Amino acid sequence: MISATPPPAATDGGDQDDDAAPVLRMRAIGKSFPGVRALDGVSLDAYAGRVVALLGENGAGKSTLINVLSGVFGDYDGQVVVDGEPVALHAPADAQRLGIATIHQELNLVPDMSVADNIWLGRERATGGWLDRRDQVRLAGDLLARVGLDLDPRKPVRQFRVAEQQLIEVAKALSIDTRVLIMDEPTSALADAEVRRLFDVIRALTAEGVAVIYISHRLEELEEIADQVTVLRDGRWIGTRPMDDVDRDELIRMMVGRDLHVPPRAGRATTEAADDGTVAAGPRLVVQDLRVPADPLAGRVALRGVGFAVRPGEVVGLAGLMGAGRTETLEAIFGVYPRHEVSGTVQLDGRPLRARSPRQAIERGVALVAEDRKTQSLVLSATVRFNASLAALRAFARAGWLRRTAERRHVQDQVRRLGVKTPGLSTVVGHLSGGNQQKVVLAKWLLTGPRVILLDEPTRGIDVGAKSEIYELVAALAAEDVAVVVASSELPELLRMSDRIVVLCEGRVTAELDAAATTQEEILTAAMARRALVAP
Amino acid sequence: MTTSTATAAPTLGDRLRRLLPMLGGVQGYIGLVLIVLIGIWSQGDRFADLDNLTNAIGYFAPRGILAVGMTLVIISGGIDLSVGAVMAVGSTASAMLLTEMNWPVAAIIPASMLIGAAFGFVNGAGTAWLRVQSFVMTLAMMTVARGIVRETSDNVSIGTVVLGPDGEVAPGSAQFQLLGTPGTTLFGIPLVGYFPVLALLVVVVVFQLLLTRTTFGRHVYAVGGNRTAARLSGVRVATVTVVVFTLSGMLAGLAGPINAAYNASADPQAGLGYELDAIAAVVIGGASLAGGRGSVVGTAVGALILTMLDNVLGLNNFSANWQMIIKGAIVVAAVVIQRPDLLAGAVARLRRRDEPPPTDPGPSGPASPPTPAAPRGAAGDVTREVTTKEL
Repeated sequence: MISATPPPAATDGGDQDDDAAPVLRMRAIGKSFPGVRALDGVSLDAYAGRVVALLGENGAGKSTLINVLSGVFGDYDGQVVVDGEPVALHAPADAQRLGIATIHQELNLVPDMSVADNIWLGRERATGGWLDRRDQVRLAGDLLARVGLDLDPRKPVRQFRVAEQQLIEVAKALSIDTRVLIMDEPTSALADAEVRRLFDVIRALTAEGVAVIYISHRLEELEEIADQVTVLRDGRWIGTRPMDDVDRDELIRMMVGRDLHVPPRAGRATTEAADDGTVAAGPRLVVQDLRVPADPLAGRVALRGVGFAVRPGEVVGLAGLMGAGRTETLEAIFGVYPRHEVSGTVQLDGRPLRARSPRQAIERGVALVAEDRKTQSLVLSATVRFNASLAALRAFARAGWLRRTAERRHVQDQVRRLGVKTPGLSTVVGHLSGGNQQKVVLAKWLLTGPRVILLDEPTRGIDVGAKSEIYELVAALAAEDVAVVVASSELPELLRMSDRIVVLCEGRVTAELDAAATTQEEILTAAMARRALVAP
Repeated sequence: MTTSTATAAPTLGDRLRRLLPMLGGVQGYIGLVLIVLIGIWSQGDRFADLDNLTNAIGYFAPRGILAVGMTLVIISGGIDLSVGAVMAVGSTASAMLLTEMNWPVAAIIPASMLIGAAFGFVNGAGTAWLRVQSFVMTLAMMTVARGIVRETSDNVSIGTVVLGPDGEVAPGSAQFQLLGTPGTTLFGIPLVGYFPVLALLVVVVVFQLLLTRTTFGRHVYAVGGNRTAARLSGVRVATVTVVVFTLSGMLAGLAGPINAAYNASADPQAGLGYELDAIAAVVIGGASLAGGRGSVVGTAVGALILTMLDNVLGLNNFSANWQMIIKGAIVVAAVVIQRPDLLAGAVARLRRRDEPPPTDPGPSGPASPPTPAAPRGAAGDVTREVTTKEL
């Protein structure tokens, strides 16, 4: 245990020096849910003009702390002091009044309302109930300029990409004269170039004296942007360190309570075997000239001729920036789009796979772990067993009648194999942590006995431990001769999992690289080929 | 490693817990018991009488049957406003088959169910394939079906008690009356032998099994719980939707002849507002109009609550108007007590009002690092297990 470390260094400094007094001080914060002590004795300080990172695995209590701070959980214990004044945060309005703004991982924008209307939502600028539209648009434009966005505030939010929507949220936060800005996993949906741009905005804000509380799983980001890091584990405060004085290993030790060894990439053997020609079998999945028109309303980008092949036991990584067409490629293979919109050929074991629906793809042994587990993969109100068996239900039924014992046994096997941490199979999936939810999704697809598994951002928003378990699972599936295609925004992860990397840009393949020989730089270069950088 | 406890032999508690969601909320039963107690307390002898209860349930049975179909529709994330009108179509069609075609009862019931199913199929097709919202689709069907039944019946009720040439009730008609006329029983069995009660019971059992024990049932919950996830998991969302609406229509077709027999006539105005009673029963039974949640047994409890409520209020000489007002209030109350978080929030607000505002902890403050010796919370242990597993 490292928890018995001395009190945070920054607190000492703060107590001695009035100039560096924190804008926000939280002490002995606790919060209980029925049967669970989610937070206990947590401290956090935020200083004007500085970025404090909040680090911890899923379930460590970061979200709970943030919800306390943004007034969502009114009944917490402990002290919150803003500018030396004790305050009570019983409702989101309290937080707003104190200048505490939160940008949640799931963005809180109304897609069909204009950017300006979103920014002023709830605080519309009006005279006698009549909106001052021109005023709203003009001021919104000023705020957008502060976050480096040059776009028409009268356009609906839906038309903009996630990275831009994120910055719109920042602009909205600035509109309430924010002094403490909380960002929960702001980069989880951003590609690397877009992350740069967000960091530039954060630096500009801290230069103006805003205190930022930044939550992320990506240590390399924290090293770049954070001044200080506070680590939580199991709902407890573990320690606060200046970012310059701490290395990754120590942070990981603080997060997990022990050393985390990142094993080198595994499962290379199959590639060599194939190169030797010992695996005579042809490729399992061949994609040729896959084309799909763009659908801006559904946020879908166009595919303009994507092609690649995957051998049994091979892991092919799909790299690319946001909007490069990674998700679209996987979904087109899986039969998500109407057949008439898709052209090109997909072959499975030499036979054409013309999936008109996901159902047909599943019948041929294809599985898709979709990008967003909450909206695309899980019935959150249903149980672990319900979700895990959903795709393979027919295997557990005779003439439509469920054989529940067989179902329970198979689900239990997968739950155990994947190490899903759940009180039972009848637990509602929505109550599990993100990592465990993702494992339930994986269990669902493994139960279908896939020959090809398509993984779309399989580690998004889950903790380090669960991530490495998913890496191991991918290697294990490859060892069982499953063909794996994995799309990810995190290049180190992609390099680690894949044998080969196919780089997409604007719906085309711009490079096909050997994962063992390539570098992140090479991939990024290909991902940005024929297209200007997102950041101006 | 302690991944899960689910394989351990289920204890009685586990079994009960697994049974609970199927049985609907505890609140439903509490409400039912309350109403029954009020009934016994206010009108003891008249209320707790087998004939009274049999008649009360029989009177409500057509709406109960509609509610079972409505349960399926609502769990799948839709709504069916046409059931009352489709039931009237079934009523009138049955009466016409009986009086004009002299069909036997054994043929009338399936025919009426088939007609109802056809209406339901159109609802489903419009919802699933033309992507008309089910509210709009079934609202339109409600007026269309009502128009059809009024047109075919020339706006007149058709009596189902037909006298033969000898002045006695004709045998076919007598048989038909067994479907619902109060006082009749099959094989002399009380309560359950009364056809409307029997039909409701069978429908509840069959549809509860359909929902919980078949792949189709799972798919209904999946479609209502998360359409996208259902589709990406290989569920035929459109087909499930069509079947669900067809079954709802079919049950409306079954309710038709029962309602006609109970009233001894098929009125083209029959079933006005029945869809709202059906929805109320489903909602009291714990289903969510957002879809994905609910159970047939819960709906049956909801229907019983409404039945007993009608009966108790009637026995205590409340006018029909007051019955409507009270019924509406009960629906809202039932939904609110199923949301304990609402009550907890109100309690927390009240408690806070009594507390003094927090004070400054002083310069040193309770900023000490957490004591590692303190017991861990359950949530903490969960994370612990995952992260230490194989790192």
